[in-house]
Amino acid sequence: MKKLLSVLLSAALIGGLCAGCSKAPKEEGGDSGIEVSGEESEKSKTTLTFVQHMSGVITDELQAVLDEFEAETGIAVEMSSPGSDIEEVMKTRMASNTLPDLWTTHGWSVARYGEYLRPMNDQDFVEHIVPSIKDLITGPDGNIYVLPIDADICGISYNAEVLEDADVEPESILTWEDFEAACDKIKAIGKTPLFFDGKDPLAFGQFFDFVAPTLYTNNDDINRREEFLDGSFDWKDWREVCEILERWTKKGYLNTDALTADYATACQALGKGDAAFMLRNANVIVEAWTTSPDARLGILPIPGKDSDNPRCIIGGERLAVGIWKDSPHQEEALQLIEYLAQPEVCARLATAAGMPAGLDNAESDTGKLAPYYERVMSDDILTIPYFDREYLPSGMWDDLCVTGANIVAGNSGAIDETIEQMRQSYETKKAQQ
Amino acid sequence: MKKKTSAWKYLLSALIILIHAIPLYILIGVAFKSKMDMSSRWILPGYIWWDNFKNALFRGDMLLALKNSFIITAGSVLLITLLGALAAFPLARHTSRLNNGVRGLIMGVMMVPPLSILVPLYSNLAHVGGLSTYWGIIGVLTAFQLPMSIFLFTNFIKSIPTGLDEAAAIDGCGPFRTFALIILPQLKPVIASVVILTGVNCWNDYQFSLYLLQSPKFKTITLAISSFFSLQSSDINAAGAAALMGITPVVVFFLFLQKYFIKGMVDSAIK
Amino acid sequence: MMKKRNKNIINLFYVPALILFSVFVIYPFIEGIRISFTNWNGYSQNYTYVGVKNYIQLFQDKNVRTALINTLIYGVGSTFLQNVIGLLYAVFLDSKFRGRMLVRTIIYLPVMIAPLVMGYIMYFLVQYDNGAINDILAVFGRQPVDWMNNGSRAVIIMTLINSLQFVGISMVIYMAGLQGIPGVYYEAAAIDGVSGFQAFRSITLPLLTPAITSAVVINLIGGLKLFDIIMALTMGGPGYSSHSLSTLITNQYFRAQNAGYSAAMGIGTFLLIMFISNVTMRYFDKKEVYS
Repeated sequence: MKKLLSVLLSAALIGGLCAGCSKAPKEEGGDSGIEVSGEESEKSKTTLTFVQHMSGVITDELQAVLDEFEAETGIAVEMSSPGSDIEEVMKTRMASNTLPDLWTTHGWSVARYGEYLRPMNDQDFVEHIVPSIKDLITGPDGNIYVLPIDADICGISYNAEVLEDADVEPESILTWEDFEAACDKIKAIGKTPLFFDGKDPLAFGQFFDFVAPTLYTNNDDINRREEFLDGSFDWKDWREVCEILERWTKKGYLNTDALTADYATACQALGKGDAAFMLRNANVIVEAWTTSPDARLGILPIPGKDSDNPRCIIGGERLAVGIWKDSPHQEEALQLIEYLAQPEVCARLATAAGMPAGLDNAESDTGKLAPYYERVMSDDILTIPYFDREYLPSGMWDDLCVTGANIVAGNSGAIDETIEQMRQSYETKKAQQ
Repeated sequence: MKKKTSAWKYLLSALIILIHAIPLYILIGVAFKSKMDMSSRWILPGYIWWDNFKNALFRGDMLLALKNSFIITAGSVLLITLLGALAAFPLARHTSRLNNGVRGLIMGVMMVPPLSILVPLYSNLAHVGGLSTYWGIIGVLTAFQLPMSIFLFTNFIKSIPTGLDEAAAIDGCGPFRTFALIILPQLKPVIASVVILTGVNCWNDYQFSLYLLQSPKFKTITLAISSFFSLQSSDINAAGAAALMGITPVVVFFLFLQKYFIKGMVDSAIK
Repeated sequence: MMKKRNKNIINLFYVPALILFSVFVIYPFIEGIRISFTNWNGYSQNYTYVGVKNYIQLFQDKNVRTALINTLIYGVGSTFLQNVIGLLYAVFLDSKFRGRMLVRTIIYLPVMIAPLVMGYIMYFLVQYDNGAINDILAVFGRQPVDWMNNGSRAVIIMTLINSLQFVGISMVIYMAGLQGIPGVYYEAAAIDGVSGFQAFRSITLPLLTPAITSAVVINLIGGLKLFDIIMALTMGGPGYSSHSLSTLITNQYFRAQNAGYSAAMGIGTFLLIMFISNVTMRYFDKKEVYS
């Protein structure tokens, strides 16, 4: 007993001691904002805090770049990677107004983070932002708040072998009707036409981001854009997009475990050729190649509503870095942005991210995917923003995800409930603004 | 006759062990397998895929996470034990209206859903510079685990005859000395229970650590493991390796302490 | 006189604990009450007070009702399973045979695993594709089942997982309780011709009442606050069907950006847990007096 007690006590003492010493790092952190001026003058000691949302290979590359930045300038950068918890983490930080010096904006540089970010219009890199995403990251006030290192180009990921086996020519899929015909053929050869990894319901949110714009906002002449923005949209018309999801479910296009499969399973299914399509950006392809290196995978533009409407791809920011406007380390943070905006650094990071670069003076090596990117970024294909970010108030993404899952689950009255939830949530979110 | 009775006992034991060992068995299989190995989860690989552990160690910063978890757990457990024993003394010895109220309040704290107070808690800590510090998280974990500790200590102290502290009072001992000399030495058995029950919760904490320890320097074991499993990552096997490495220390700790633990529970949980 | 003063001094002993509670729990909790009267989205600097609107909505919201029912299943279901199985285990291990220490250790080990991690591990068992349970079904020539695609089934599975993970705690409490019952009671009963199950009912159970109280209260609070396993396995889905109140609170706070509503839900959950545990404790308090 004595032994136990002494072990415990000494353990606790060590703990206590360390807890005592550990207060030191706090002073370097940008979080507290209570910087002692004496320390401030020691420029070499500055540590920038940086929160980023990516995971996988790119994280390692990012860390390597930051290490080189520190070696060159003496400014340390503390990078935290909360992964899929980024939303929660950033919201707590906004709530208490203690933001990191820099963070990646995962698609929300304008709508959600705009008021917290320092405008970048005065920076040299702005003129180099690739045209396909420039409009998408420009606020209504004309401000650009982030350095887009890569450009999120999001189309339908597919397995070319499955399509060949089913005798489907990818370039012939111009409308949703063509898409469904292709799905029928794929189903006929015993493969899963469309794979959803619904364990995280974001898979169903993606569905709406892919399909809703083709019905409501893509057509320049007849569209509902204003109605979504000013709140006059009649949510009864939302039934149209819901019914597509319901039809696909009923026709058996989806994988059996559409509601429970995880991301790893999805990547494997696509790579092994068990599934033909996924409504997800090329990240799934890059991941699928880690287990099936020889799989022939590609990207397809999103079909149009009918033959009068062009096909499209979704574009936006992904690895885009902004600076907190109240950061105590503005200058150093800008130095980092400049460093990241150098063509060779930007190219390196975009390559690791597996996406086209966000700056036109940087050349990302997207390897096997390069021809596909070139194809989908050509003129006959429309580049559109993520539907929810552009046309719905912040916070409705969750409604898309959950209602989509309900429809796929086949709950009776799911579509009516969806319409009601969307209407209510829209009102609540508008009232919050 | 005697042999016959033991036979069914061993059979039943084997069945129980089988059921409860499944999670660990599956985890070991996953952790040792290569990402390319698609065999059934029931089949252990004939090899150990060390890359998983290398990945977990270096990319997941497991050593740093182990250190942080150790410091946070040790600090919290020390406070939980000490403050818990202190608070339990008056609550067990004097039943007054005030003390009943305090007891009710403490039980109430046990029932607060942690997430419902997260944002105000976060803002508070931000104001006093307690984010991403050891003392901040230790304070929060202590506050949330203290009720359990007080609960166990109170039950235990009630079972100690009051005769001794009365004698001490007659000898002129103040309450502090009575506590230190009479009560504290008798608490030894229950301390092991408190340490194990609350220590495990601190070690395994996820919700508070995620929000209050955002600096990567303060990453804990559970955070490290969960970031591996985080849905955007597809390297399940490295995640399994990380989980296995995170579980090992507590399991070893428990194996060493379990003797005292069971004994302590005899005296505390049932007063 | 002297004694009275000591009594008051002695109360100082819980002051440090109270200070900790005030700073880290009570003050934020009161702040939470304030937020529950607003329409705050959880991060912006502006919001408006909306009175008791959030509380009214609590009673109309179908998802809250689902989560409430699920929470009761998680709480009461796990408490029931953990206590029945825990007691059976304890009685079984109370008999002397070699290797019982090993059995006890194995049963208790899962308690050491973080519930979040346990959830991730369990996904390997219940997943449709390459899941361990479906592999067993395949051996018997049965079709694979997508276990978690139905909310009610997912709730039951997660209750089971939680119960099996934490049954060790009740087991240890009951083992402790059993050791505290003097053997002479059973000897006396045997002379009267009472043994076996009857002895268990008339001697063991009543004398175990304090242990039952501890085990039930600890399990109940744990079950009603169930969170990590759900997050790791279903995130509350499909749809809202497997949410507990705790996970729905998080969902509403962060993802759905209804912080005010979520805060009201938090207060409601607190009151519910408080009510259920108080009723339970009262019930057992009475029992203890009678026995």
